[in-house]
Amino acid sequence: MKGPRDAWAMAGWATLPVLALAWEGVARSGLVRPFLLPPLTAVLERVWTDAAAGDLWRDLASTLYRALVGFALAASIGTVLGILIARDRIARWFFDPLISIGFPMPKIAFMPVIALWLGYFDTSKIVIVAFDAVFPVIVATAAGASNVERELIWSARNLGAGTRRVLWEVVLPAALPQIVTGLQVSLPVALIVAIITEMMMGGTGLGAAMTRASRFADSPGVFAGILEIALVGLILVKGMALVRRRLLLWHPETLAEATVA
Amino acid sequence: MTLPMDDSPQIVIDRVTHLYRPPRGREVIALEDISLEVRRREFVALLGPSGCGKSTLLYLIGGFLPTETGAIRVDGEQVAGPGPDRGIVFQHFALFPWKTVRQNVLYGLEKLRLGREERSRRAQALIDLVGLRDFAESYPAQLSGGMKQRTAIARTLAIDPQILLMDEPFGALDAQTRRLMQAELLGIWQRSPKTVIFVTHDVHEAVYLAERVVVLSARPGQVKAIVDTGLDRSDPGLFRSRPFIDKVDQIWALVRDEALKAQAGHAP
Amino acid sequence: MKLAVRYVPLLLLALAWEAAARLELSDALPAPSAVLVAWARLARDGELVANGLPSLYRAGTGLILAIALGSVLGVVMAWWRPLHALMSPLLELSYPVPKSALVPLTAFWLGFGNASKVLAIFLGGTLPVVLGAFNGARSSDRALVWSARSMGASRVRTLWDVVVPCALPELLAGIRIALALSFVLLLTTELYAAQSGLGYLISFLGDEGAYDAMFAAVLTVAFLGFVADRLFLRLTRRLLRWRE
Repeated sequence: MKGPRDAWAMAGWATLPVLALAWEGVARSGLVRPFLLPPLTAVLERVWTDAAAGDLWRDLASTLYRALVGFALAASIGTVLGILIARDRIARWFFDPLISIGFPMPKIAFMPVIALWLGYFDTSKIVIVAFDAVFPVIVATAAGASNVERELIWSARNLGAGTRRVLWEVVLPAALPQIVTGLQVSLPVALIVAIITEMMMGGTGLGAAMTRASRFADSPGVFAGILEIALVGLILVKGMALVRRRLLLWHPETLAEATVA
Repeated sequence: MTLPMDDSPQIVIDRVTHLYRPPRGREVIALEDISLEVRRREFVALLGPSGCGKSTLLYLIGGFLPTETGAIRVDGEQVAGPGPDRGIVFQHFALFPWKTVRQNVLYGLEKLRLGREERSRRAQALIDLVGLRDFAESYPAQLSGGMKQRTAIARTLAIDPQILLMDEPFGALDAQTRRLMQAELLGIWQRSPKTVIFVTHDVHEAVYLAERVVVLSARPGQVKAIVDTGLDRSDPGLFRSRPFIDKVDQIWALVRDEALKAQAGHAP
Repeated sequence: MKLAVRYVPLLLLALAWEAAARLELSDALPAPSAVLVAWARLARDGELVANGLPSLYRAGTGLILAIALGSVLGVVMAWWRPLHALMSPLLELSYPVPKSALVPLTAFWLGFGNASKVLAIFLGGTLPVVLGAFNGARSSDRALVWSARSMGASRVRTLWDVVVPCALPELLAGIRIALALSFVLLLTTELYAAQSGLGYLISFLGDEGAYDAMFAAVLTVAFLGFVADRLFLRLTRRLLRWRE
């Protein structure tokens, strides 16, 4: 598959090392103050020393702990609520305005309130994370659960399933593709919010470390923080994509991938 | 419950009316004061133009929709909801996409108090019956239309219903597969006779499969005519035989007016 | 009337809140009635406006810059292969970077004044707008483009007359995300370090122990975010009327 198109595509991937070199070059050249843009090598070195000293792992563990626990809370509550809203009229009446107002609100505004109630340690951070991350899950789950093919439910009832079995054995699996999409949106949100809470409340965590570096004018530290956070974000997103493939083994989209490959 | 030994009809549709209430707009009378009787182990086709309510009638018998007035009785008891005595097969298969063929077929067997070995034996027997032995572990997304429908039929047969409700089951298949499936269905029915109510808009299909063809009028649906087919289905040249063609002509004449009416009355 | 009925659950929640607050479980749970009073006081004292304006300036500037640059970049990327090839790895890389991580960075570069906040909001908002513009422009029906070209329209004219309207729905969707992000980033930067602005107001009131006023400020910001989103949806529907 040769041709000018692919030459450009390959050129695209060449930009990465070029950018890296450019970063290094500009930083060392004296064009910009090293304070504002430390050389890439210095940043990477900092990541290394942090890792060796154990600080990186400690902060990483804290951030992941808060983000993932908050995400787990959001995922479980969100899925249950979403299905409830989709299948029960009263639940829908009650929650619909809450969700339609809550979704576009900058929920981070409530962070000072929650910190006030629950302190400045892990609990409040996890609650804030869950509060933000639950909305995409609810919306996606409700959408998936309310669009289940009528004939699937009828078939299940025809084959002897009662209301509870229908919910558990038909609605949930049928909604799973959309639920997983909601989870895929929710996970990065959880990470972002976890980092914000750390930035505001201090303690351990990648966000807190970055804030400290910023306050102490430690520029390699700030950039190291960005790289580390970006890497964590990337791994989580890719991880979630793998989870999706595994959970949706039966789905045409997964099977199509397999046949194409 | 012992089966009645007399000749009384198995299914009685007694002056049933059903209203369709769309989320927006006015309600529509789908079926109006319709009455019909179906005998035990009979193969009946419900034939009519689009929108005449034939599928709706099927869903009412199945217990998926409520009647507005009138009642439907099966073996003397009024239909109150879906049940394993009336198995249904849908046009678009309604297979659980997250389950394999085998798991789909096993689904209905879970409710029955059978041992695991008995359940898997029965499932295997049905999978073999519909010719899907080599595809038992495949997912629906990996199957062709015909294979999906065979899975659906196997799944419904697994609960051993006395009555089989089929909603244009071959409508989504290509013409060749359709012909094969029709023959297979007849074979299955002849070997283990059940009452079959078969909804279709294809006159050839109705005449080929059914002993009696019920022609429904355009909306609001009512019984326009009932025709006995009286054909010798063991004749391999059936489709070309004079009696078959005459019967198709006879019934098509009845349906044609209704089809035109339905077309005229339908706003897009 | 129907609208009112729809929001009754909120009323129920407010009543439950009032009841809970009256139980005086905690100092930190002011009653809605107290919050309303505090809000009126804040409004009367001009605090809301005095802090609202800097916030509006920061978010507005950052967002407008993001929309301007992002839409142009996205459309050109869709239209001109070389740029796409060059930029796309960069964009893919920045995708998983939580935009909030930019806050200490911009503060580090530009201090605690307006500039750092505008920059953070700009950087955060650009990506969704670029993606929206790019996807939207790419989806423009080839048949339409070719028709325009065959009728003699120049490349630029075609861009304006055909590609941009086709791109509009997805672009607007991207802008909607950038709008929500701008609120989040605005609050984050102002809670982080600021001397004015609604975020600053919230933390200031909290430090003072004036919890009813703090609640009032929090709810004000939340409400503004909600209203902004709704207004934007209205605008979107207006602009996309031809689609119906």
